[in-house]
Amino acid sequence: MASASEPIPAADTAAKMLPRERSWYPYLLIAPSMLMLVVVSLIPFLYTIYLSFHAAKFGRVTDFIGFDNYAVLLADARFWNSISIAATFVFIAVPIEFMLGLIGALVLNQNVRGRSILIPLLFMPAMMAPIVVGLLWKIMLAGSWGFLSYNVLERFDILPGTSVFASPDYALYALIFVDIWQWTPFMMLAFFAGLQALPLGPYRAAAVDGANSLQMFTHITLPMMTPLLAVIGLLRFIDAFKVFDTIYILTGGGPGTSTETPSILANKMTFEFWNIGEASALAVLVWIAFFAFCSVFYQIAKKRLNAF
Amino acid sequence: MKRLHRCFAAALAASTVLLAPLAPARAQDSFYAEAAKPYKGTTIRVLDEITPLQETLSKIIPEFEKETGIKVEWELLNHFEVINKGQADMLSGRGYYDAIMLHGFQLGPMISAGAIMPLNDLVANPKLSNPNLGTSDFIQNPFKTAAFVGDKQYSFINWNYNQIYWTRADLLGNADEKAAFKAKYGYDLAPAETMEQMRDIAQFFTRKKGEKLAGKPLESDFYGIVLEGIKGGSTFPTLWNNFVKNYGGNLIDAEGRPTFDTPETVAALKMWRELWTYAPPGIAEYSLVDVPTVMGNGIAAQSIAWSDFVLGVDKKGVSPYAGQFVYGPIPIKAGSKERFAEAEPSVTVISAASKNPEPTFIFLQWLADRKQQDKLIALGEGGVPIRESSWALPAITGAANKTLYTAMKSTLDVAEAKPKMPKFYEIYDVMSGIAQEVGLGKLSPEEGAKKGQAELLKLCTKCLL
Repeated sequence: MASASEPIPAADTAAKMLPRERSWYPYLLIAPSMLMLVVVSLIPFLYTIYLSFHAAKFGRVTDFIGFDNYAVLLADARFWNSISIAATFVFIAVPIEFMLGLIGALVLNQNVRGRSILIPLLFMPAMMAPIVVGLLWKIMLAGSWGFLSYNVLERFDILPGTSVFASPDYALYALIFVDIWQWTPFMMLAFFAGLQALPLGPYRAAAVDGANSLQMFTHITLPMMTPLLAVIGLLRFIDAFKVFDTIYILTGGGPGTSTETPSILANKMTFEFWNIGEASALAVLVWIAFFAFCSVFYQIAKKRLNAF
Repeated sequence: MKRLHRCFAAALAASTVLLAPLAPARAQDSFYAEAAKPYKGTTIRVLDEITPLQETLSKIIPEFEKETGIKVEWELLNHFEVINKGQADMLSGRGYYDAIMLHGFQLGPMISAGAIMPLNDLVANPKLSNPNLGTSDFIQNPFKTAAFVGDKQYSFINWNYNQIYWTRADLLGNADEKAAFKAKYGYDLAPAETMEQMRDIAQFFTRKKGEKLAGKPLESDFYGIVLEGIKGGSTFPTLWNNFVKNYGGNLIDAEGRPTFDTPETVAALKMWRELWTYAPPGIAEYSLVDVPTVMGNGIAAQSIAWSDFVLGVDKKGVSPYAGQFVYGPIPIKAGSKERFAEAEPSVTVISAASKNPEPTFIFLQWLADRKQQDKLIALGEGGVPIRESSWALPAITGAANKTLYTAMKSTLDVAEAKPKMPKFYEIYDVMSGIAQEVGLGKLSPEEGAKKGQAELLKLCTKCLL
């Protein structure tokens, strides 16, 4: 039996207060958004699965072919190449964004002068439409006439005779650089918001106990920030793996296939080759991989990091 | 009285002679008005791509509406959008557009998908088919190879996009440069006629910042050549038709079997690779739009480019080098007897899902009619002819730079639409990647030929429709 002093959860109260005949009311309220989700998300997803088991070329869906599309895809070196490029992209870009974002957030949290001006400025890259980011960096790094190519790379003889986006050796790293430029400030601001929300009590207690800054960071800040770090890290990981717009604008997946991620390949298979069956199989495979990864990550984050 | 009769007869005879040339024109005019009567008030939607040629054409479309009472919603989109949007509409079966402009290379996949309406029944219908259209006046090679598959006709011909050789008369005519070139290579400096000469000129003019070019110190690096090198675009067709075929190789044989891995292809790829070393470092990013921009800005000595873009650049107020350019036929391999050149004969087709095929067919004939074509070239003060008779028009014979039209004609004389290959896009994509990798030195020419052949075989063993 609950004591008088124990608060009654708000949801329970609301449910108890609803007359039996009005118990459908909450469902009515969420129905429009659920309906929208089903229409724009679930149905297309189920249709993608359906297409992946059919011969679908040039927009015409014909025979059921079982796992043939999957078999073709899994035997295609180009598919594995795209996975390895996306993996390289993600495993370089996201940790760097994460580390720089966290360092930046800790610096911002020190009451640096001009913070109120700096914060809106930091939002700018993340606020830019991907096409703007692409065009901006095209202008910056275009071979021979790009602003940075001409004024920095050419002037100081860095990578002579090379155009970064046209080089199979550098194009992917240039794209990673652009991604880091765009998303580090977002990570920084997300982490900064988290730091601002931390309670001051533990820090005061630690200060009384004589803890230094590093000890406070490792024993207080990091454990308390872990849920947020895990969520932001996961979201960024998913987003980075799906990157499409900037690559499409800056390199189109080339030179050769050196920057062709699964999203670029899927787009090509769908809208250039009109090979919709195989493109659907690719989308489903990527989704399965993500689902498995996110499930494992969720379990680990929940049990070991106390996140979620 | 007899005298009066004689005078009247003479006047009648004179007026008949004087008005005779106008009579066929009037008959033609009345054909479209007459044929369109049942369709008066109908609206047709047409999708075309935007180039200076289509912009000029836009000015005369209202005349069709006035003449026939058929309304035309004329939409112009850029090259890539017109391909994506046009194909999506055709393949979806929605039929929003009645007619869609297709490049020659799109025909294979679209015909194999059944997305294009054959015109045979419409051509055979005397109420709809203009007997005076004069299809024999169309430049035959591009028309026949683009519009027909076997005995089925899918279109007329609308745009004869073609590539030409482009260089700088001021540099090639400079006395110091000429002397230095002769001393180094042993022959006179002139617009290249062979690939080997083009390579020599490219090598000769590739210079670093600070070196002299035509007596003046360079403020930035100067390049011997600029070519299209972007993934996709027309990079691979440029390599295929101008290089591989001129070296005696090909992508497929007459039966459609892949035949890329030959010594001729390897030799062509070697030249391709060598030329890339004299090009700006960003060549692998250069599209068909960037190439004329580089030439117009005076960054390179020579190029192979699409002539319709040249028309937009070699103009006073657009390029500081306007009037100093000179053009020529696509260079061929030294000693080669046969000549090939990249062209993209393009057509406007009726979508299989069109709800208005008859008025659309009338419109397509009207577009390709000599009267409209003459007007198009006169309004554009030049253009890219689709009719043999257009070469004699004053806007072309009196053009400031006659070498441009000589070069265009030389390409169009041998121009062919791409073979109709259902898997053209896959082939195009993988081969343009190989063209880049060979150009950048990531694959040797031998490896490129071998990889190209292997990739082709993965896609098709018989690649034609």
